[in-house]
Amino acid sequence: MKVIIGLGIVLALLVVLPSAQYVLAAGDSTGEYLDRRVEIWGLFYRLMIVAFTVGTVVSGLIVWLVLRFRESNPKAKPTSYEASGSW
Amino acid sequence: MRHRVRGKMSGHSTWPEWVYVGVVVALLCYVGAEAWNIERIIEHVPEDAKLIKVEGQQWLWTFEHEDGTKEIGELHLEKGKAYKFEVTSKDVIHSFNIHDYTVLMDAVPGRINTVWFSPNVAGEFDIQCREYCGLIHYNMRGTLIVEDKGA
Repeated sequence: MKVIIGLGIVLALLVVLPSAQYVLAAGDSTGEYLDRRVEIWGLFYRLMIVAFTVGTVVSGLIVWLVLRFRESNPKAKPTSYEASGSW
Repeated sequence: MRHRVRGKMSGHSTWPEWVYVGVVVALLCYVGAEAWNIERIIEHVPEDAKLIKVEGQQWLWTFEHEDGTKEIGELHLEKGKAYKFEVTSKDVIHSFNIHDYTVLMDAVPGRINTVWFSPNVAGEFDIQCREYCGLIHYNMRGTLIVEDKGA
């Protein structure tokens, strides 16, 4: 559990704080002329990259899991429960 | 006596799953922060933006400039200047849209919504209603004419 909490703190430090700093720093440059098209479509494409990356990783992982852990896989080994009938 | 061994309950190591959850949470944080940030930036109106009052009604758009000049169905603006729209409606809910400039704001009776933009290309662009507002909704259009006074 300590490892999990530690990992959570590290991720928070790596992601949340830089994000907050980035957002707050951007506040200094607002109120200026900008091209809505560039900003909005740029955001759209960035988020689409995230969405498709996540989709690819998740679906790829599922395909790998299904193929790797099917019963007919030559590498398949019975779990301890399947082998002995008890934990 | 039964002892709990790490990973015993699930029968396997769980750290890759926690890394996976962490990565997903991190991506969600990034998506949320990025979207919030861009929305905040594009909502911040420049100080010198000129005010245009936009009123939708079935089925036309009326525009009123700062000097009181009114236009119906057409809107003349200058290239390179910033304009702040105050959008409202006389009857039902409409939505003010200039597709080529990614301007979109609901026109709601009794409420004033604001949106701003700065045209950087001269020419004629479509203005259209983006919220179904009745029989002639499809033809509730206008024309944005961006003039390049410096040319």
